[in-house]
Amino acid sequence: MNEKEYNQMIKRCLRCSICKWIPQLQIKSQKYATICPSIDMFNFHAYSGGGRIIIALALEMGRLKPSQELLDIVYKCTECGGCAVACKFLNTLEPLEIIVKLREKLVSLGYGPMPKQQQYIESIKSNNNPYNELHENRLDWLSNDIKIDPDAKVLYFVGCTSSYRRKEIVLATARIMNAASYPFKILSEYEYCCGSPILRTGDKKSFIDQVNKNLDIIEKENIDTVVFSCAGCYDTFKVDYPLEREYNFKTLHTTELFNEFIDNSKLKLNNQVLQTVTYHDPCHLGRNSEPYEEWDGEALQMMPLVSLNMPEKPKRCGTYGIYESPRDILKKIPGINFIEMERIKEYSYCCGAGGGVKSAFPEFALKTAKTRIEEAEDTGAEIITSACPFCYTNLNDGIIEKGSNLTFYDISELLLMAIGSPNKSIKESSTEVA
Amino acid sequence: MVLEKDIFKEFEDIVGIGNIDDGEVITNVYAYNWCMEIFNYMEGKEPIPFSPIPKAVVLPSSTVEVQQIVKLCNKYRIVFKAQSTGLGPWNQPSTDNSIIIDLRRMNKIVKIDEKNLYAVIEPYVSGSQLQVEIMKYGLNCHMPGAGPQVSPLASATSMNGPGFTSPSTGHSARNVLAVEWVLPDGEIMKLGAYGLKNNPDFFHGDGPGPSLRGIMRGWAGTKSGLGVFTKVAVKLFPYPCSTEYSVKGYSPNYDFEIPEFMKLYVMDCGNFKKLETVMLRVEEQEISFMCSYLSGFAVMAIFSNSIESLMDKIAIGQMKAPLVVIIAARTQREFYYKQKVMDFLLKKFKIKNIIGKIYTPNPTFYAEALRSNLGLHGFIATGGFQSTKGVADTANVCLRSTKSNIPLKKGFIKQGVIVNDFGEGTWMTSYESGHYFHMESPTMFDQTTEQSVSGMAEYMEKSNQLDLLKHLGAPFFVEGTRMHELFGPHMSNYHIWLRKIKEIFDPNNISDSGFYITPQNK
Ligand SMILES: Cc1cc2nc3c(=O)[nH]c(=O)nc-3n(C[C@H](O)[C@H](O)[C@H](O)COP(=O)(O)OP(=O)(O)OC[C@H]3O[C@@H](n4cnc5c(N)ncnc54)[C@H](O)[C@@H]3O)c2cc1C
Repeated sequence: MNEKEYNQMIKRCLRCSICKWIPQLQIKSQKYATICPSIDMFNFHAYSGGGRIIIALALEMGRLKPSQELLDIVYKCTECGGCAVACKFLNTLEPLEIIVKLREKLVSLGYGPMPKQQQYIESIKSNNNPYNELHENRLDWLSNDIKIDPDAKVLYFVGCTSSYRRKEIVLATARIMNAASYPFKILSEYEYCCGSPILRTGDKKSFIDQVNKNLDIIEKENIDTVVFSCAGCYDTFKVDYPLEREYNFKTLHTTELFNEFIDNSKLKLNNQVLQTVTYHDPCHLGRNSEPYEEWDGEALQMMPLVSLNMPEKPKRCGTYGIYESPRDILKKIPGINFIEMERIKEYSYCCGAGGGVKSAFPEFALKTAKTRIEEAEDTGAEIITSACPFCYTNLNDGIIEKGSNLTFYDISELLLMAIGSPNKSIKESSTEVA
Repeated sequence: MVLEKDIFKEFEDIVGIGNIDDGEVITNVYAYNWCMEIFNYMEGKEPIPFSPIPKAVVLPSSTVEVQQIVKLCNKYRIVFKAQSTGLGPWNQPSTDNSIIIDLRRMNKIVKIDEKNLYAVIEPYVSGSQLQVEIMKYGLNCHMPGAGPQVSPLASATSMNGPGFTSPSTGHSARNVLAVEWVLPDGEIMKLGAYGLKNNPDFFHGDGPGPSLRGIMRGWAGTKSGLGVFTKVAVKLFPYPCSTEYSVKGYSPNYDFEIPEFMKLYVMDCGNFKKLETVMLRVEEQEISFMCSYLSGFAVMAIFSNSIESLMDKIAIGQMKAPLVVIIAARTQREFYYKQKVMDFLLKKFKIKNIIGKIYTPNPTFYAEALRSNLGLHGFIATGGFQSTKGVADTANVCLRSTKSNIPLKKGFIKQGVIVNDFGEGTWMTSYESGHYFHMESPTMFDQTTEQSVSGMAEYMEKSNQLDLLKHLGAPFFVEGTRMHELFGPHMSNYHIWLRKIKEIFDPNNISDSGFYITPQNK
């Protein structure tokens, strides 16, 4: 979104509150009708997508100046994009993009990100990961049984959270690829943070540095595909990188890849997983992973006040997120009784960890996780699964905090159980994700 | 202007920490609303979308808390403005000596009485939320054209209340049963059967003693000018068809399985005279779920989800007097009967249904019709939209109003300040088997340009004057002292009585009278 579009759009909020609800046509119960964790928690209209558009306008008009109160409201948002899906059913506003740009503006004015987020950014700059972990420990997850092929055309980008905090995901992922005889390599000591935690908190300049740093390295590798088990890294590479710099490799999330493995009989699912399972769509893998479509049309003035985009400008509504491949995997695992929550796919409820919220506002993140866990419990499921290390950590924290009987597994762990590989996963629990 | 510290504390003691905020960001956000720029312009102020900034926003969670807040407002002479879902300039305070009572935390469906066909709800239950819960009993509710995301309580107690499904779900003013009402001085009033000493319940809206429903909301609602409504019972209706409801695919291109017994008719009646006759006959038969006269442009809009897709439908826009009817049924026999009646009427009046022949809408249209989502299509051309007119009367008066408005509107279209909708842009629907109708003239403008905003405001003023001049009844936007004083003398001096009500119920003028009427002494 350029400056001109931003300045036009912030004048057009209808204050209709559609952004607080899942798309109206999808509402199935009073209990699970809402989409926005922020307004659900903080209640004042300012904490909704529309409320933040008003803040953007009031700032531009000079009615408001950056302040602690303002920062607090702008950053108490998981940037899950649920508001944008709901709004764009009929409208053309971009609440999520406005929030992202608003954060960028605050950072460029010398305000924001929040102190804890700033610490993560500093750590990325000095340690290449947001967790203040030593860079040389990045490969600690790598166990002897994992086969890595330095000549592979496929690069597995592990990501910081899986490398340091959710090793069960990276191990399961690597083992599944090995089981499918799918050669892959890793960047080893040259793997750095994808930059997502920087981008989401508004430090665009540092993000661009990270994009260049990563692409410079990857482009030297002789690869054609990059695979991600982290939804956040995947979304950032697939959707956000091309806005800054073009690249010419394919991006794949492991759920897409694993589903292909099953379909091409590269994996044999010998073991029954006799569990009732529900699936949580990560925002980064679902609605937000829809790429921007190129549009080089023009706006034609049809009549006074009405201009038409010719051809019609594609709206990014979450239509083309990755929804089916994880579900297909679950449906193909023998023994699994797959059951859906009410809020799914493009109108899935956020786990609560995104947008820098888990680090800056852990209570907010936890409350949101508990809400989502309750929704999963209401399905009667025994297991909640997902495909993102952030969702893993936060939802797991929600399970613990709530005293829920649910168990969380990453989808790769369930698949690993089904192929009967020894389940050597290390279950870690950490509340610290960026 | 913020609240004094100790007054803030008193409010906080009522609602709890975190449920009151007087920060400049929160209060500025509450000063914004859709179309506020027009109302500012009309009052000679800068045409910006912001009203006076309230001193604070409070979020009560119960009737008792609301009562305490209102009493405190009286004690310190601070004006309050209540809002439920908060859409529209009517939610805006008229003074900066005010607080907003945002009723968002009062969001319970208190009761669904499926046998006696009513539900009791709190302010922040949305239309969709109520509808999905009562669908489980095979029932439906009324929602205003503003959409399913707004509050049925606000519409039932405080706003106008027409909706696209009005032929089968009525009008908010007629659907309201018992009410729990915190009066402007903090006393709690229970209207209807809820006020009974023994076995209070919500099934009836009048009495005990004389009915106060007229005072409570009258035709158009008091828009927070006469206290705060904390619970309301609204009438429920049979869901028009099978409640099996499945929307598949991904937004915005959903796929909807159209219920087996549901059929859409779009017919060009050719002229207003014939339109009136056909509409009256259709409604007399009591068969429609939806029955609206929509001008050609408005028909294009309800079938479109973007301005580009709207422009594809120019052919539909050429219709001279389009009538949109949906019939729906729960059994084959009922459906057969309704279709037979429609076939008979089409034949009798020599009109044709274009659906399936000239045009086939996306199935999502049917889901939107069932979920009362069609009104929001009014925004797709420019993002700016407001209605004029709003008379409720006979079909004949409504159509006269439509006709008389066309030359006026065309003049403003020529100036390029409002969107060219061929001069009509009308929506008219029927109530209670055609015993009365309402019409309004939705108009699109660009809220981001001063020229369009001022043009729209002038057009709205002229349209109101036209209603007076041609005796076309009272439009929606007769609200606020200036408008009541303009229309009152032409309508039995009702404004004098309205003012007396205000004076008696709100001796301190604490319930914001900006969109109601000020007492005599102000
Ligand atoms: C596209 C569109 C179409 C529309 N079509 C229609 C239509 O067909 N029919 C119709 O009637 N209106 C229509 N409107 C206007 C609409 O009614 C109002 O904008 C809407 O009902 C108000 O929204 P709300 O329910 O969020 O109520 P609110 O905005 O919360 O409240 C409406 C008014 O009631 C007052 N109020 C709210 N709650 C309380 C309470 N508990 N106690 C005391 N006062 C209270 C508020 O101060 C305000 O003045 C339309 C608006 C739009 C944008």
